[in-house]
Amino acid sequence: MYVLGLSCYYHDSCAVLLKDGVVVAAAQEERFNRDKYSPVFPIQAVNYCFQEAGITIYDVDEVAFYEKMFLKFERTMLSHLSGFPFTLKNFVQTLPLWLKERLAVPYYVEEELRFKKPLWFVKHHLSHAASSYFCSPFPRAAFLTVDGVGEYACASYGVAEGASLKVQKELHYPHSLGLLYSIVTAFLGYRVFSGEGKVMALAELGKPTFEEAFRRVVHVREDGSFRLDLDYFAFNRGEKMHNRRFEELFGPPRAEDSELTERHADIACSLQRLTEDILLKMARHVHRATGERALCLAGGVFLNVTANSRLRNETPFEDIFIQPSSGDAGAALGAAAYVSHTILGAPRAPPLRSCALGGSYTNRQIEVVLRNKRRKYRQLAPGARTAEVADRLAAGQVVGWFQGRMEFGPRALGNRSILAHPGLPEMKDRINKVIKRREPYRPFAASVLREHVEEWFEGVGDSPFMLEVGRLRAAQSGRIPAVTHDNQTTRIQTLTRGENGPYYDVVEAFRARTGLPMVLNTSFNEDEPIVRTPAEALRCFEETGIDCLVMEDLLVER
Amino acid sequence: MSAPICIRCVLPHAPPDIHLDAEGVCNICRNFEAEELRAAADDRELLETDFLKILDKHRGKQEYDCLCMLSGGKDSTAALYYVKEKYKLNPLVFTFNQGFVPEEHLASAQKTIDKLKVDWIYFQTPFMKDMFRKVVQTRSKVVICGICSLWYMLKTYEIAAQFNVPIIISGWTKGQTTGSSRSVLSKCACDQNPDEFKAMTAATKEFMEKHVKTDPKYRDFPMSMADVMHTAKTKYNSKAVVLSPHWFVPGGPEEYVPVIQEKLGWDYPERSYPKKSTNCDLNFVASKLAVKNFGYSHYHIEMSNMIRLGVVTREEALEHLKMDYGEEVLGDILAKLDSRGMV
Repeated sequence: MYVLGLSCYYHDSCAVLLKDGVVVAAAQEERFNRDKYSPVFPIQAVNYCFQEAGITIYDVDEVAFYEKMFLKFERTMLSHLSGFPFTLKNFVQTLPLWLKERLAVPYYVEEELRFKKPLWFVKHHLSHAASSYFCSPFPRAAFLTVDGVGEYACASYGVAEGASLKVQKELHYPHSLGLLYSIVTAFLGYRVFSGEGKVMALAELGKPTFEEAFRRVVHVREDGSFRLDLDYFAFNRGEKMHNRRFEELFGPPRAEDSELTERHADIACSLQRLTEDILLKMARHVHRATGERALCLAGGVFLNVTANSRLRNETPFEDIFIQPSSGDAGAALGAAAYVSHTILGAPRAPPLRSCALGGSYTNRQIEVVLRNKRRKYRQLAPGARTAEVADRLAAGQVVGWFQGRMEFGPRALGNRSILAHPGLPEMKDRINKVIKRREPYRPFAASVLREHVEEWFEGVGDSPFMLEVGRLRAAQSGRIPAVTHDNQTTRIQTLTRGENGPYYDVVEAFRARTGLPMVLNTSFNEDEPIVRTPAEALRCFEETGIDCLVMEDLLVER
Repeated sequence: MSAPICIRCVLPHAPPDIHLDAEGVCNICRNFEAEELRAAADDRELLETDFLKILDKHRGKQEYDCLCMLSGGKDSTAALYYVKEKYKLNPLVFTFNQGFVPEEHLASAQKTIDKLKVDWIYFQTPFMKDMFRKVVQTRSKVVICGICSLWYMLKTYEIAAQFNVPIIISGWTKGQTTGSSRSVLSKCACDQNPDEFKAMTAATKEFMEKHVKTDPKYRDFPMSMADVMHTAKTKYNSKAVVLSPHWFVPGGPEEYVPVIQEKLGWDYPERSYPKKSTNCDLNFVASKLAVKNFGYSHYHIEMSNMIRLGVVTREEALEHLKMDYGEEVLGDILAKLDSRGMV
């Protein structure tokens, strides 16, 4: 039984294919059309999913969509009405989008895919919840979802058991933590969707001097629910989402690409503190309200790794699972999983242990690209690849690492990654400057051998999807400057051989040479979606300062 | 001394249509590069779902959903297999034999038909033998495959019209089409006349005017592919489009050959030109003459396209195109045309 999950028309459009409840393929459309966070109908991702499974639409039993479009439309219309006449301009701008795309999902599914059965529309936050619970190892758990906005809900919690998910409470629009984070992201001169991570990184450089200001804007209750004071915002009313009163509190907004000041970092830091405070309160309340020992998290807000670590360490839950693709791409997975398990009764699948759900390339396919691009390369003998890469990393080289199936979700987890020595002080600046070409303060993550994590970090256990941070132990201070943030934390991906054997072996070989059981791991891209194909990897290699490129068993040098 | 070959593809310097620049890159590769850059924004690759959209428009409306051209080779066998098993259509199959298709290929086609349990029209004719003989004996530059394709395409359209079939499915490879993905969908791939075919097209025209038009036996023979399509429309009232699934699915033979080997027991024939192909015996003669007359054959054009599209490497293409078969192969085929020793 095949179920296809889809998300599109806002951001992170994506296709996911489940067979009998097990994910067989998943990919975001941005990887194909090279438009970051692409919102379009994910036709190329769908084609990939079918090809991976060796099927066509005729083999698909059901198609699930990640939200209820008419409910969302209703909420949007009510929001426009309540703000009339200030919302008129936005209304006129967005109405064609609704009519042509967002309300026409069944039409496009039939037109593009020739799927003629009715679709399943799963509520947005239920999709998020299902994406986390059905991928988790828990037979029962509480769930908490927090994002920008779905239909009405911006956050929800409830209990899942077996194949059933029951939502207990929802927090409705416009009181949205995701939205607030995005508003401040825009206020700080970054782009919404791509800039939130930059704000999180900036937060580490600041002090929480705007906490009091945020308390005036956001009224947080003990259970984690909160209300945005709408006197400070201008939703739907113009080009800016905040208003003059907001600026009176926080100062003028930062223009894109203008200088970053201490004030900007302090605002980011205060926002981050507020976010963590709200999420901790929410999670503690969910624990009290449900009495569950395990918690499943999903929604774009849970890409906030610092908050995630605090949730693991500072709430009463014994275990936490965070959906690795916790944004809207993951919601497509959740919608498909909900239809597979809850509606169609497919048995629970094994827990998700790897995000390698995208396409892969053989040595021959890579060779065709390299030869026809007239690039010299060397085929590494079986077994020699690991040593070659480890030697180069130990010598301070930056390695483009392309192997296996492409990762699903926002993180490169060792299949489409740029790897480097984490112990070299200049490495962070070098990669930021000549490879990623981005702000110098942006930190890098580490892929750490699971069995060495406790020896190096506090406050982190399993983090296979790079969704948590650990605090560097004092004894190791100064040993991994390229991946240590100013506050002595590191974003961590824990590695086991079972989850990613070839990558684990490289890091193990690197440990044998340097004594460091980790490598710096950053996504294989430069201001674009993560590379998908050998040709894209080669182009990124050629246009940046990566020292060498390893694609499967083929090594390309400068 | 042989002409220099493009450093990217396998086409030689053959002015005025094909010429290499100072970097050793041919104009066809340069045009492709420019087209790729120009089209990148709005001309995505053809997708299998695009193909299904077309198929679905016609599914179930006639006795047969499509007409599949089957030579018994890997490409047409895979195309038929996809159509029947993957796209779940009811195809009518058509095999054309002008007298030079080896028994081995026909046996392979027969095996495929039996396994897939589809209806099959087998058409064998010695009708063109005189024309082939004339090509060799007059030492014309016309490419034999070019004139043969006129006849089999006309027959294909005729049968499609007879059965009211709206889609003709070929096994043409990614290399056997040119232009952007959009133009492939809007035009039949054989309705194109790119630079690399110009010299061959001119030779065809010359031969047709001189030797075919004047021969009463070939009074109704089409003069060009445009003529074929015109006849199909006017005489047969056929609106059929020709499509190949290979244009819509990623990868090349390395993807589909293992499938047909497993599912249909298909295997490579003992001999064929180019290597790893399943072409009729006349290809040995046609390719040899084309290389002699133009410096390259229609397979050089196809392989060059496949290189540009990333399906094969240039080295593989050069290897496949090597004419290292024994002289006796050529001799046997020429003997059938009473022309031994004339190539």
